[in-house]
Formats: sequence, structure tokens, C-alpha cells
Amino acid sequence: MRLPLSYKKHEIKDENKNDKPLARLLVVDDDLDIPNVVKAGLVKNKFLVDSFTDSEEALQNFQSNPKDHYCLVLSDIRMPGMSGIQLARKVKEHSPNVKVILMTSFEIKDNEFSKVFPSTQVDGFVQKPVHLEHLTNKILDTIGQTKRRLNE
Amino acid sequence: MTSRVVESHNIESIMDWFEDEICDGENGILVYPNSPTFREIYTQYAKDQLVSAREGQQPKDISQDNTNNDDNKNNNNNKNSSIKEQQLLMHPRILLIATFYDTVNTVKHNLSAVGVDVQSHIDDGSLLIVDAFNAYYPDIDGMKKLVASLSERAIKEGRIGVSAIINTGFFFLYGRDVDGSNLIGYEASLAPKTDGGNVRGFSCYHMKNYRKFSDSQKKELLAQGQKKLLEVIESAVASM
Repeated sequence: MRLPLSYKKHEIKDENKNDKPLARLLVVDDDLDIPNVVKAGLVKNKFLVDSFTDSEEALQNFQSNPKDHYCLVLSDIRMPGMSGIQLARKVKEHSPNVKVILMTSFEIKDNEFSKVFPSTQVDGFVQKPVHLEHLTNKILDTIGQTKRRLNE
Repeated sequence: MTSRVVESHNIESIMDWFEDEICDGENGILVYPNSPTFREIYTQYAKDQLVSAREGQQPKDISQDNTNNDDNKNNNNNKNSSIKEQQLLMHPRILLIATFYDTVNTVKHNLSAVGVDVQSHIDDGSLLIVDAFNAYYPDIDGMKKLVASLSERAIKEGRIGVSAIINTGFFFLYGRDVDGSNLIGYEASLAPKTDGGNVRGFSCYHMKNYRKFSDSQKKELLAQGQKKLLEVIESAVASM
């Protein structure tokens, strides 16, 4: 069985080594396995993660929380009902400071995305299958400017 | 009757709709409840069309006049097939799968898992798997052109025709088309039936997308009842 996420052990950078969570994330993917696997990996790397397989439920959850509840939304692009593109747009409309990373199994390049979806602002892309170390670093890089330890 | 509802575990009834209800030259609409069900449908259909033909069994569409007769059903493996039927078996339908929520590689993997020799069918021109995004973008008519070219090739190669299983998820990707007019307009451009046509078109909608349409939009989508609809719902058995 192919897992969508590599479990290569990721060493968190020194400055992140303490017991406090790094950030709270929202993970959305309609593939039943991926949210659980991604969540497990990210939790191991000291993130707080809420995961959903239904993008509309994920948005409801997002909008029902305070605007600074989540640092970042990590979402698949091609999902039925509400795509990752639509979800990203609604997240940014609701909370412009929240970062959005889209993940996809399909080849996508930033410049192509901006041509196809010119009015959708996202902060990064991750290619599936996801490598935990790459994903963690991508998230840390993306939230860099807004990163803060929860409860601080 | 142009609309049917079938539970997802009843794969035989679903295949009957594919093979008996939608004839050459017709475009039908399939609504599926979830991705695993859609995978089961396209893999089973591919297996029926490609593997059965290669193994010398008659796909139902060759002997569809006999399908309601149990005795004749038993004759499906009859070695005394007519010369024409033998030719058709040698040159099965071209199957196009335009995937959207699964990658092309995932479709190949799923077909292989049910015993379809994917690469050999691709090599002999019986199977084409494409990413629907690339077929619709940047030219929205790209899919129609692709299907038309396959239709012409089927004629040249003496094949029965083309079956096109097309996932319409592309039209729901961006979400700006909130009134669904683009998709309805596109679907309306696909005639419910084309006399003499050799393409069986299956526009496949995820239930989460289909339910976004109002009742009047659904009527438009179905060409005021001229198009046949199969709505596959989640089985009570499967959800227990």
C-alpha cells in the first residue's frame, strides 16, 4: 500500500524545541487517508491539527472560530462540493492573515496557477505524495512572519 | 423512463444502465455518491469492455437484442459468433476515461487492480485515460474535439465505437460559475442522441457537485428529460 506521506523522522529546528505547539493548522482533503496521515505527522512535529475530509464542513469550522484560531490552512485542490480554490478564497475573505497552502497530486506550477486562477491568493503549493519533512519546513517557512507559539 | 436510482452496491444494475440504456450516439448523465463508488464503476465498466472482449466474451452491447432472454444470455460465450461479431471482438470499443479527482496514474492503478492490462490496451488504442482538466483547459471544447477524433478513429479501425466516461468536476473547480450556466450550456451542447453516432457519452457528476443545481437547472441539464439519468446513491448496506 502506498502511503501519501513519508514518515521520515523530522528534526525540528532548535528554536522550536519546547513543549508548546508551533501553530494550529486546518487540514482538508477528501481522500479519507490523507487528513489522518498528514495530521499524525504534523502532530508529531508539534503542530495542533484539525482535519476534515469535507471542505464545506471545514469552512464551517474555520468560520465558527476566532479569526486568529488557525495560522494556516492546508488543503487539497480538487475536491467535490467545494474545491480547494474556493476554500482558499473564502478563507482569505474571512481572515486575510491566515496562510493557505494547497496540495495536489497533479502537476502545478505557481505561474500556471496564477494564470488559471488569477484572483485566488494562496501562499504556497505542496506536491503529493507529501514528504513530512518538506511539508513541515514549507509550513514553517509560510507562517514565518506570523509564527507564534500558542499561549504566548 | 429517463431517470433511475440505484444503490451503489448494485453494480450489475449500474453496468446494465451503461450497456443497455445508453446506446450509440447517446449522452447520459451519471451521478455518483462518492469517489470509491465512481472508481468501482469505471473499473467494472473498463473490465467488462476491455477484458471481456479480449477473452472472447461478448460485451453486452454486441448482443443487446438478446439481453433480456436468459437462454440467449447463456449464449454470450457461444463460439459460433458471426464473423461480424468476431471482428468486433477483435476491435473493441475505444474507452476514454477523463478523470478529475483521481490522477491518471491512480486510474491506471485501479484498472490494473481489477485485471485490466492497462498498457497493452493503451498501446492497441482501446483505452485512453486523460486528465479532464487538460481536456477542458484552456479550450473548453477540447474534450469534444478529443471525443470527435476518437469517433473518427473508431470508424477507420472498424471498431464498434467509443465510450467516453467524463468526470465533470472541472466545471466546479473555480466556483465563479455559481449559477452553473457554463456547465449547463456545455451539457446542452451535447445532444441527448445523435442518429448514426458511434459515441456513448457518460457525463459523471459527484453528488456534492450535482446537488448545487436547482431543480430547474437539473431539468436543463437533462435537456428537459431527453437525457437519461442514473443516480447512484450510497447503499444502506455499505453505510452500516
